[in-house]
Amino acid sequence: MNKKDDIRFRTKIIFGVILLMIAIIIINLYQLQISNAEKYVLMSNKNRIRILPILPKRGHIITSDGKIAAGNICHYKLIMECCSEKIFSENMALLEQCICLEDEDRIRIADQRKKRAPFIIIKDGLSWSEYSRISMILFKLNNVSIENTYIRNYPMPSEFCHVIGYTSKSDGNVQVLRGKTGLEQTLNDQLTGEAGNVQIEVNALGKKVRIIDSQDPVAGKDIVITVDSRLQEYIHDIFSQEKAGACVVLDIPTGEVLAMVSVPTFDLNLVSGKMTSTQWQSITGDPLSPLMNRAVGCAYPPGSIFKIVVAFAGLNEKIISPRDKIFCGGGMKLDNHVFHCWNRGGHGKMDLCNALKFSCDCYFFETAKKLGIDAIVKYARKFGFGAETGVELSNENIGLLPTKKWKFLRYGTSWKPYETVIAGIGQGSLLSTLMQSAAMFGKIYTADFNFSPTLIRGESKKHEKDPIDSEHLETLKNALYQVCTSGTAARSCRTDYGISGKTGSSQVKKIKTSEAGANQKLIQWKFRDHAFFVGCAPYPNPKYIVAVFVEHGGGGSAVAAPIARKIFDMLLKK
Amino acid sequence: MKQFFPNECKILFVLLFFLLSLSFFGQYSAFGGQFSGPVQRHAIRIIAGLVLMFGIYLVDFKFWNNFAWVFYAFVFISLIIVDLLGTIKLGAQRWVDLYFFTFQPSELMKPVLIIALARYYSMISPSEISRIKNHVVPFLFTIIPAILIFKQPDLGTAALLIGVGIGMIFLAGFPLKIFLTAAIACIVTCPFGWFFLHDYQKNRILTFLNPDRDPLGTGYHILQSKIAIGSGNIFGRGFLQGTQSKLNFLPEKNTDFIFTTIAEETGFIGTMTVVFLFLAICFYFFWVTTEFRSRFSKLTCCGLGILMFLHVFINISMVIGLVPVVGIPLPFLSYGGSSMITFMISCGLVMSALKNRK
Repeated sequence: MNKKDDIRFRTKIIFGVILLMIAIIIINLYQLQISNAEKYVLMSNKNRIRILPILPKRGHIITSDGKIAAGNICHYKLIMECCSEKIFSENMALLEQCICLEDEDRIRIADQRKKRAPFIIIKDGLSWSEYSRISMILFKLNNVSIENTYIRNYPMPSEFCHVIGYTSKSDGNVQVLRGKTGLEQTLNDQLTGEAGNVQIEVNALGKKVRIIDSQDPVAGKDIVITVDSRLQEYIHDIFSQEKAGACVVLDIPTGEVLAMVSVPTFDLNLVSGKMTSTQWQSITGDPLSPLMNRAVGCAYPPGSIFKIVVAFAGLNEKIISPRDKIFCGGGMKLDNHVFHCWNRGGHGKMDLCNALKFSCDCYFFETAKKLGIDAIVKYARKFGFGAETGVELSNENIGLLPTKKWKFLRYGTSWKPYETVIAGIGQGSLLSTLMQSAAMFGKIYTADFNFSPTLIRGESKKHEKDPIDSEHLETLKNALYQVCTSGTAARSCRTDYGISGKTGSSQVKKIKTSEAGANQKLIQWKFRDHAFFVGCAPYPNPKYIVAVFVEHGGGGSAVAAPIARKIFDMLLKK
Repeated sequence: MKQFFPNECKILFVLLFFLLSLSFFGQYSAFGGQFSGPVQRHAIRIIAGLVLMFGIYLVDFKFWNNFAWVFYAFVFISLIIVDLLGTIKLGAQRWVDLYFFTFQPSELMKPVLIIALARYYSMISPSEISRIKNHVVPFLFTIIPAILIFKQPDLGTAALLIGVGIGMIFLAGFPLKIFLTAAIACIVTCPFGWFFLHDYQKNRILTFLNPDRDPLGTGYHILQSKIAIGSGNIFGRGFLQGTQSKLNFLPEKNTDFIFTTIAEETGFIGTMTVVFLFLAICFYFFWVTTEFRSRFSKLTCCGLGILMFLHVFINISMVIGLVPVVGIPLPFLSYGGSSMITFMISCGLVMSALKNRK
């Protein structure tokens, strides 16, 4: 027998092999427990710890008269924690008697059970009767609870739809509400607050074992806005007769927006809540675009209201003086083309006051021609045209101030003299929003170029003044008063408290009949002028500015001014 | 007066003391940190096992030599009966629960095979050992019960039995060159064994090779086991603090995966303690044989050492994902009577051999 066959020798070989295999195990354990320990600790924690968000209560938006314009109402969610198949089917059998479940709910529940979700939302949004029926049998149910959350609610969904704006759930893991338009959007950060969370430990089945840690949510701030709900409702009612239009009421001198209405409206609760895609399409597909805030989001040719800017520019640049007269023969000839005054018969000899009073186009054709477009734009900019008014809404349209440079960049052609002329009466490429026109009145009557409208209580005091240092303001104010006593708006605006204002009827860009849709009535409506009226009252120290716009309403004096009168009456004749 | 235990036994007692303490506290923790029914049963098994160990120790070692064939024949017949009954009952297998306490013949086969092989080789003179024909009987002794167990089906125990058998044949003096050649040949032909596997066994192996194949089945268990072991880090999460085991992420946390529970709560320190305790016991089993004169006792003790080591190696490799999950318990630590008794008997046999070494 040789040595190699000896048991002792073989034992040594085997023990050598054993040591080798143990070494493999030790190396592997070292890798698991020391090299990669951090990774596995993380995975272990991920296994057992679930972080559930606690949504913060969104802040209220409160009107200046103390009504809640955007609030929260209770919303009940029926929740079942992860449980065995037996308990699950027992629960479902009992629950089926109390609530009705849609097929898609069932599919969702089955899907979540497959994924071992720690809890399943059986039904989102229990009705009150469902809530009470389930509460009665809650003691029979295992692992079932009713979670009480809040959803956004708008008590005045149509009146405040554009000012407040709608909300929707954000896309992330934590489904916090996010404002999409209006004040809900601009004040979103303050309204939202901070989400809290609760860390729970779950077992392998996903069932809650204990709460590890929790952090309470911080509720959002309540915000008081300047809008008065009664005025807003009143104006909303007036405008319910109009197809499309807008109205803004400002306070002087604070610039607080007391009302802002745009029609057509939509239902905030519908858009913010659960809405079918057809409902959404019926809103977005509406040719009148109800989602559009016509007070700040749409720019129109300002029409005759812009004559105030041209007048001020002419006076300040000493191109005209209050007493200078210009003859209106019903039109002005420029380069073989006659630009007609709205009054084809002509106004005769007009001074500034009368020109504004009767809204004489010829006077302003002439003045604009002398001023030139650069000067007009310079003054328009001072009065806030072509820029945001500063109101706390994000979808503000800045309008358009046409300049030579703009014309060249946009169309590649040079500026034509006739364009200056029609800009003088607020037509042509010139565009502005109703809010800009209202703010212009604010600047005139507070003699402050920095006047800016605000929707938030207490925001108005912050800005510095940029005084309008001109003796010509009085001339303008006098003329504007006369507009409403003996001028274009005299028929509807002659009152004992005294309104000063300006009408406007801006011509609409013509649309070829062949391009328009089949609805003949709509086409005809489309061809009508936009009706404007911006005014303030009482005279001589006005407290309120009212700006009214009726889309394709016809004449400013016939349509817009009477509406403004009603609003002034409501404001001043309590 | 003559000492009751030989001096060398004291080393084994110390090792066993540590291991059995670990076993008790490990099970105590795995059962949720309460001295509940199963934990009590485990404690009783430890004590009963120790009693059994001393009982075996008292028996003269020649007894095992004399009755080796009888034991082997008895267990072998039991296996065949189990196999036949299993065929009749369509797969309901763990039959011997009714006859021998909680013993399964497959479990009993492990020590009995060792004794039988040791007995066989002790009859062969050392000069004859290098002849192949002398190794045919041990090979059949191993492979036939292994096939019967494999059909039960119990892949783990069958593989283990073959491992023990090969270890014994090698130990006894199987020619080295032929052994190596055969080993290489086996590795090459391994893939053909695939066709004899049950579907669930194939699944386990496939999942082992690619854990993503079945993330919520076997792969999920391996992953959870690795997470538990890895998250133990150096010092562990602390006694009773293992979240993976407490929150039931671990499969079989009391039996096959007890090592995982211990690893999670005691960390690298704990796992090294366990590994080195077992290594020490194996070494001890080999070491005591140096002074033995009888080939039978030498082979028996070394065989038991191999048996113990294979259990430890397969079990730990299994829970750390090195080999497929085959259901091999960790000696002394896993919950359950069968393996506890097997290894208590092993210790008793080694002590008995020590007593009768002269």
